[in-house]
Amino acid sequence: MKNCRIGVYICMCGTNIAKIVDVEAVANFVSGLPNVVLARTYKYMCSNPGQEMITQDIKENQLNRVVVAACSPNMHEHTFRNALRSAGLNQYLFEMANIREQCSWVHKNTKEATEKAMALVYAAICRVELHEELESMSVNMCPNTLVVGGGIAGMTAALELADAGNSVHLVEKNNHLGGNLARVDLTAPYLYSARDLLTERLTRIMNHKQVHVYLESKVTDLTGYIGNFKATIQLLNGKPAKEKKSVEVEIGNVVVCTGFKEFDASRIVHYGYGKLPNVITSFELEKMIRAGRIETKEGKIPGYVAIIHCVGSRSQEFHTYCSRVCCMTALKYASEIKSANPTCYISDIYIDMHAFGKGHEDFYRQSSEAKTLFLMYEKDDRPVIHKASPKDDCEMLIEVNEKLSGEPIEIPADLVILMVGMEAREDSHEIARIVNISQDKDGWFIESHPKLEPVATTTDGIFIAGTCVAPKDIPDSVAQARAAAARILARIAKGKIEVDALYSEVNEEMCSGCRFCNQLCPFSAIEFNEEKKQSYIISALCKGCGVCVAACPSSAIKGRHFTDHQILAQVDGLFCEIGM
Amino acid sequence: MAIRVNPKFIDVLDRFGAEDVQLCYQCGDCSTICPHADDVYKFPRKSMRLLQMGLSQKIETTLEPWLCYYCGQCSEQCPREADPGETMMSLRRWLISRYDFTGIARQFFKSRLIEVLAVLIIALLTGIFLLYYGFSGGSIHIYDGEGAFLSSTFIHKFNLTVGAILAVFLVINAIRMWYLVMIKGTQFAVPWWLYLKELYQLPWHFFTQKRYSECEKKREHPFFMPWFIHLGLMLGYVTMLVLVMVFIEQLQSGPEIKWSVHIFGYLATIGLITGTIYFIRNRLKKNYVQYKKSHSTDWVFVILLFIIVLTGIAQHVFHRTGLFEWANITYVIHLMCVVPWLLRVPFSKWAHLIYRPLAMYLAAIRRAALALQEVVLDSYPVFIK
Repeated sequence: MKNCRIGVYICMCGTNIAKIVDVEAVANFVSGLPNVVLARTYKYMCSNPGQEMITQDIKENQLNRVVVAACSPNMHEHTFRNALRSAGLNQYLFEMANIREQCSWVHKNTKEATEKAMALVYAAICRVELHEELESMSVNMCPNTLVVGGGIAGMTAALELADAGNSVHLVEKNNHLGGNLARVDLTAPYLYSARDLLTERLTRIMNHKQVHVYLESKVTDLTGYIGNFKATIQLLNGKPAKEKKSVEVEIGNVVVCTGFKEFDASRIVHYGYGKLPNVITSFELEKMIRAGRIETKEGKIPGYVAIIHCVGSRSQEFHTYCSRVCCMTALKYASEIKSANPTCYISDIYIDMHAFGKGHEDFYRQSSEAKTLFLMYEKDDRPVIHKASPKDDCEMLIEVNEKLSGEPIEIPADLVILMVGMEAREDSHEIARIVNISQDKDGWFIESHPKLEPVATTTDGIFIAGTCVAPKDIPDSVAQARAAAARILARIAKGKIEVDALYSEVNEEMCSGCRFCNQLCPFSAIEFNEEKKQSYIISALCKGCGVCVAACPSSAIKGRHFTDHQILAQVDGLFCEIGM
Repeated sequence: MAIRVNPKFIDVLDRFGAEDVQLCYQCGDCSTICPHADDVYKFPRKSMRLLQMGLSQKIETTLEPWLCYYCGQCSEQCPREADPGETMMSLRRWLISRYDFTGIARQFFKSRLIEVLAVLIIALLTGIFLLYYGFSGGSIHIYDGEGAFLSSTFIHKFNLTVGAILAVFLVINAIRMWYLVMIKGTQFAVPWWLYLKELYQLPWHFFTQKRYSECEKKREHPFFMPWFIHLGLMLGYVTMLVLVMVFIEQLQSGPEIKWSVHIFGYLATIGLITGTIYFIRNRLKKNYVQYKKSHSTDWVFVILLFIIVLTGIAQHVFHRTGLFEWANITYVIHLMCVVPWLLRVPFSKWAHLIYRPLAMYLAAIRRAALALQEVVLDSYPVFIK
């Protein structure tokens, strides 16, 4: 390529790179290459002086291409692109060679590592010569939001958005709002009434002008892209399918808060759930507590109550994860049962006591003070419940190898409460498909980054919050709902949204309209123009993954910034003979 | 065979002083810091666990409570203020009540009223009997020799009778302890010759209380105080017991002082008076963790002993100074305390005089037997010491 003036920068990364790779040798090798105007080494390229060095060189030496050989582009590509921008150069005229993760960290031999580093840098130079100037674009942001699920997370997100003056469509499958929280009596550890928590939200939502509540409804379709979605909401109402009414709404963002369902306790045969009448689940106990009387099926007040933790959680057989809320809920039951019947003896059979949250450890201590008997069992050595003989003073006996004493014991019980864990809802794959987000092996929705983007997904404009992401308690669900609402409000306030320039384009002249790419696109970014009989890509949705580029039989699709020329030049560069 | 958990047991032990054991969450800090716990005898953690679960049939066969000398380091260390030291103490009380076949000890530990009433009734009966005997055959003005109010030959017979009653109860209880620990609680074979080989443990621990001195925390006290003073108290006690059981005639003759006998009496008195004052003072001041909580039986123990020592000294002094009436009166009071005290022995804390060295002896036998067979004590792995 003519008129290319390339600057190459080789970072030592302290000693991370320099202790294995001979950076000076790499710089020497590079500086002799055609089009390379200068090659420098520096201790930390990502530091401010390092970036300023690049900016100054661009201005003084009229550089029009830059290569930085340093760490992974995941880490600092953004940093160096900014350096180019501040020098007035288009940010895409830049390439990064990863000589840390892919070279110095994984090799021991200096000579070989240096040769590999040279090859990587050379490949980057070959590629950057073919780079083009690209511009990112912006789209409009519709201020309406769709919230799927009317539990505590959904209601919180809806109120947060509506209070800021935006229209919210809240879709709930059941005939009432409240979700799983509406099935609970008190909340741990402060024993606040769940009803009180809900009533305030409910009355506000019902009277809010900006919130449109769709009960007994579900989202059946979502088209469009960030800022410009169209959702179809179908009203179920028990009518036959043909008569079902559906509504179409225009929205800019979606918050998915579809919640969890509880583990089916009958799957664990040891516990005899469904066979022994007085083995009940935590939600069945909640029902009893709300009815005001804790009793056995025979109507007796239980003298011994046993609570078994981790039912369906933390096992290889069912779910490996911890459901997070059951430990404190179990302690809450101990306290509620004890206050209803002070002479009752409560055994709490657990694997580990997870008391991680605010006030939880104190709550655990209070439970100990009230003489709850805590018994530990080994993860894969579950207790076994069987009926007691008539001469025993209890209904059932629970056999377990108690881990802390090392004794095989049996525990008397009149009522056994199974702390059923949380599971992804069976219909969650349906909503995942409609809004185009992914699920992990357990069915939970995947966030775009587990630490830094906990409520965003890989699909722009789709947010997730609450227990549909992973098991969590009320404060965490509420925090996530508010976080999602805050992210959306920031976008609404901006009015427009920037879209990365790395998307694919269809060359209309070459497209035969075979529609292969339509099916393959993992982001549903390709649509078909019936009039022209050609496919086109919604650039706002495209992530530039390149699946369509590879699949197109007519080579009609070009991946911007990942053209065939650029990639082949890079490959050629890698395999070039390098003599030291 | 699975053992039935008994959630009610923790309420029973509450009466014996284990008020905070429910707080224990089994971190094991207590066992780590304990200078006496090891791989074979795991305590206080495991003892606390068995207590929480109410496995009384298991606890009654364990020796661990006797291997603890309550230095209190565990209680200071405990992150949950579950007071392992006091728990071990209350387990000792409970074990005393378990070894006792009459059930009297249990009543004493459970009810302060019953204990105090029993002591008072026996004291009154003794007093009435002695006064009746004294007035019917002797004179209140004569202390020793012909016509004495309480002649030394009579007192000798009286003492031996009370001592025999005491011995019968103690021996039966000790046999019960042996049965529970070595037969019921030992699932592995113990060769008979180990009983001979380890026999030296009995006098060794009885007369030195070496393990008591090994409690590191105790070394913080000046001159190993609790161990030293406890040893003095115990040796004084035993010396005095031998004197009144065997040499009472020489002891009571007078008025000149018989140094060959009395020197032992004086030494024993020093040990007793120092010990009782020291322990009463600590229990009042609560300055060390092991004295923070005093069970009612602890108070009866030290106060009764203190009165016995004081009246003993008083009658000795009155006798030698010619105040025979006073000497006789204080003698009666002295015996009114001694008799309930001695009769209370098998049912009270005092029984540890026998149980502790016996426990040390049996523990050594069990340990040797285990080492011989390389048998793991527990059938299930326990991950925390």
